[in-house]
Amino acid sequence: MSVVCELAAPFVANSAVDGGPVARPFRAHAVSCLKCQARHAAMTRTARELAALQDERLAAPADLEWRVMSSLEGDLALPRTWRRPLAWSAAAVSMAAAILIWRLRLKTS
Amino acid sequence: MGNPADPSQVEREKERELITRAQTGDRAAFAALVRANQDEVYTLARRLVGDPHLASDVAQEALIRAWQALPKFRGDAKLSTWLHRITVNTAWTHKQRARRHRSTPIDDYREVAAPMGADHPEVAGETLELRGRLRAVLDRLPDSQREVVVLKDIYGWSHAEIAESMGISITAAKVRLHRARARLAKDLEETA
Repeated sequence: MSVVCELAAPFVANSAVDGGPVARPFRAHAVSCLKCQARHAAMTRTARELAALQDERLAAPADLEWRVMSSLEGDLALPRTWRRPLAWSAAAVSMAAAILIWRLRLKTS
Repeated sequence: MGNPADPSQVEREKERELITRAQTGDRAAFAALVRANQDEVYTLARRLVGDPHLASDVAQEALIRAWQALPKFRGDAKLSTWLHRITVNTAWTHKQRARRHRSTPIDDYREVAAPMGADHPEVAGETLELRGRLRAVLDRLPDSQREVVVLKDIYGWSHAEIAESMGISITAAKVRLHRARARLAKDLEETA
């Protein structure tokens, strides 16, 4: 196996996928070398297979839709901008109620 | 002007209507969009991250991000193209997060990932054999190399689009692709 073939290999692969000629330093070699031509042909088939993979669909997990939609539940219940003020208001109301109950207890005792 | 009976035109109009409804908060319309696109989103995520469980998380987060960003979707690009971009960005985020929080390097996911394709319909003879080897070799590529091959050679993104989405220069994207293809060719040769 020639060292030149190994050096040319990435350029042969690029040429096969992109469809252009092999880069200049290795062009003459690739044209005359059977090994490089075989690699070019193999990579051309690989490129076709890679492109064909775009149309291939893997089945998403059966629960993906459920997971997505249930994650949205909280998001949909309230607009994001309202969440923090609402949490603060709830905390303030709870605190006021606690103080009121404490005072009422003080008065009655 | 498109033929109103053209099935793809009808599909596009149906999708457009679902998008409009989902943009106004219609959850059922968004669920229909999820059903129509989840396989495509999951497939891209699976190819980018290699691991099926991680891909499932990436797909889930990408679809949630899509819901959040949907009001800004103007329809200039196809919905699937827009979802691809969100999925790619989500996959990067997941990887960065995993690198920060896991003691196991994310690259090790490749070692435990089941080879893609066992659940696929049969394609005849040599093509099936090559495709099977191709999937296995793709899964074994380092993450950064697999990502550029997936985006460029499977999904047809330009060097500029890849560079922009990965936050690297166009030259760096080209170099990665060059190395990735060389490795892919070498690995395929070795497994032949």
